[in-house]
This record gives sequence, structure tokens and C-alpha cells, in this order.
Amino acid sequence: MTQLRILLFFISILVTSTVSSQQEQDTIKVKENYGIRIGFDLSKPINTFFETENKGFELVGDLRVYKNYYAAVELGFLDKTTNEDYINFTTKGSFIKAGFNYNAYKNWAGMTNEIYVGLRYGLSFFDQTLNSYTPNVKGTYFITETIEPATQFNDLTAHWVEFVFGMKVETLKNLYLGVSISFNNMISTTDPENFKNLHVPGFNRVFLNNTGVGFNYTISYLIPIVKKNK
Amino acid sequence: MKKYFTIIVVSIFAMLSCEKDDICIEATTPSLIIHFYNNDVQTESKSIEDLTVWANDKDSLYVNQELDSIVIPLDLAQDNTLYKFSNNLIEDEINFTYDRKDVFVSRSCGYKTIFENLQIENNTSNWIKNIEINNSTIENDTAAHITIFH
Repeated sequence: MTQLRILLFFISILVTSTVSSQQEQDTIKVKENYGIRIGFDLSKPINTFFETENKGFELVGDLRVYKNYYAAVELGFLDKTTNEDYINFTTKGSFIKAGFNYNAYKNWAGMTNEIYVGLRYGLSFFDQTLNSYTPNVKGTYFITETIEPATQFNDLTAHWVEFVFGMKVETLKNLYLGVSISFNNMISTTDPENFKNLHVPGFNRVFLNNTGVGFNYTISYLIPIVKKNK
Repeated sequence: MKKYFTIIVVSIFAMLSCEKDDICIEATTPSLIIHFYNNDVQTESKSIEDLTVWANDKDSLYVNQELDSIVIPLDLAQDNTLYKFSNNLIEDEINFTYDRKDVFVSRSCGYKTIFENLQIENNTSNWIKNIEINNSTIENDTAAHITIFH
């Protein structure tokens, strides 16, 4: 009985493998677009609309280099005021991120959707302004006044790495909607004296262990340049 | 497409729930710690039986208490604080002077003020026999900064 089952098992493997090899022979040649895809982040202008003290813009672009590999770049600027319990500061600057994506999604013939993983190197040049702070004191015996030093910390830099997971869906011909999440890890940052870079353009909020999270909601258009056989 | 939509919605919620997560757990602005010692046997701490403490023109911090040490805040708005100490209704005053320095702690705690160059500008000696400054920099709340002998 068991011998029969083992035999059936091997037969089934053999059959499926021959079937699939036949399918490969049958496939018609499908031309695929290779080109530059450019777009922008939808969430940043929406944030600006709801929060007046959060102005940002981000352009995204990628280029299909080889089969499932894409060279990717993002660049943008940010002017954001953060209000915490005891401090209020403004971060202003620009950033660029460059790296690649690997598309792990097996498309049907003619489709070019993506579920990808990627790696980026990020670099930002920015200024911080400490608008105001209130010295943190326990108790209320003496009234603490809010101090408005408006101290500017100029020419700050930060660079980091990002691990990206995301997807892109072709909704109209050559028009893609994308969403991605990135996990950022700071390599180094020039911290201002007696203050800290709590927000970095492109990196977003800097958490205690120097990590960050980013979300992108993009719309982009593919400019087809060459067509290659799959 | 339905799958993508769910992921997008989940991502939006994840983004919204990311703000304001850490609470202030680090040490903030320190207070001045005063120990009371026996003037006759200077290694021995000696409680004050009926102590009332207040800053000039302010409410009392301690009222008719028996204590051998007190913790009092310093005024962050100016470079001196005048404190009054009443021992069994005998009143003495001490004027503390210092330099203030604001030090960054963290996102949630903001800045704390530390006091440097702590000095006693002037004081009366109705019940206070002697005052000693153990540490002229007030950075933390761990040890006494001032010793008062009585």
C-alpha cells in the first residue's frame, strides 16, 4: 500500500515537471517596458494641507536596470515645526536617498506590478531652530517661564540606511500607485551643541535608539524607453 | 486590489499611532538639598523640632515639622533665591546665589536647569551657627549640597 503511494507521488512529480517544461516552450514572447518611472509622494502635500507647520515635498524615481532589479532614488525637502511638551523646534532642509529595489512578485504576462524589497542610502543637509523651551521642573513652587532663544543650528548633516518594503500597482497604462514602508537606521549625524537632532528630513522622527520609520504613498508615471523580450 | 487596499489602510493607522510615544523618565531640574547637623558634635546630624520653611513672599514648603534634611527648589527666573527658615519661631534667612545653565535632556523631558557656582550671599544667624557648602554645583538630587550646623 505504502509502496503504491510512493510510486504515485513520484509519478505526480514527474508529470507536473513535464507539464511545466511544456508550458515554458509554449510561452509567446512578451515585450516588457524598460524605462524611467518618475513621480511624487502624495502624503506630503496632504500633510501640508492639514498641518500648516509641516511643509514637505518628495520626488521619487526609479529605473529598471535588469530583470527584477530597479535603481531607485528619492529626493525632497522638509520644513516642519515639532511641538513637544517642553520644547518647540523647526527642522528645515533637503535630502536624497539612493539605492535599489528587488521585485519579488511574479507577474502574469504583460503585467508589471511590484512587491519589492529595497535598500537605500540616505543623506540630508538641514538646519534646526530651537524656537522655545520650558525648563522641566517637578512641582510648581516657582513659576517656570517659557524661554524663546530661537537658537539656530546650521549646516547639520545626517546619513543613514533604509530597508524598504513596498508595492506598486499599474492602475492606468504606465501610471503606478505605490505604497512603501521604510525602516531607517542612522549611521551618523552631527548633533547640535546642547540639543539633539530629533527630526531629520527624509529620515523623519529620530527615536531614542537612532532608528526611524518612513511611509510613502506615491503616484508615478513610466516613460518607456526600450522594450525587451522577457 | 482588495489586498492592496487593506495594506494601505493598515499602513495609515500605523502612521497615525507612531506619534508621542516616549514619556519623560530621566532626571530633570534638581533641587537644593540641605542637611542639619549638630554644631557641638559636627559629625552628628541633628533634627530641627519645629521647622517651617518658605521662600520670600511665598507659601510655606514645610510647616512645623521635625526634620534633619529638606529639599527645596531654586528660582529659575532669577540668579538668587531668598529662603526663610523658622526654628521654634526663631527666624533666619539665607540668600542663595548661583548661575543657571539649561542642559538638554531628551525629547520628552526637554531641558533641565542646573545650578553652578552656588554661594551664600548673606544670611542671618539667630539659630544657625554655621553653614557649609558641600557641593557648589547642583546637578542631581542624590546628595546634600549644603550643611547647616545648629
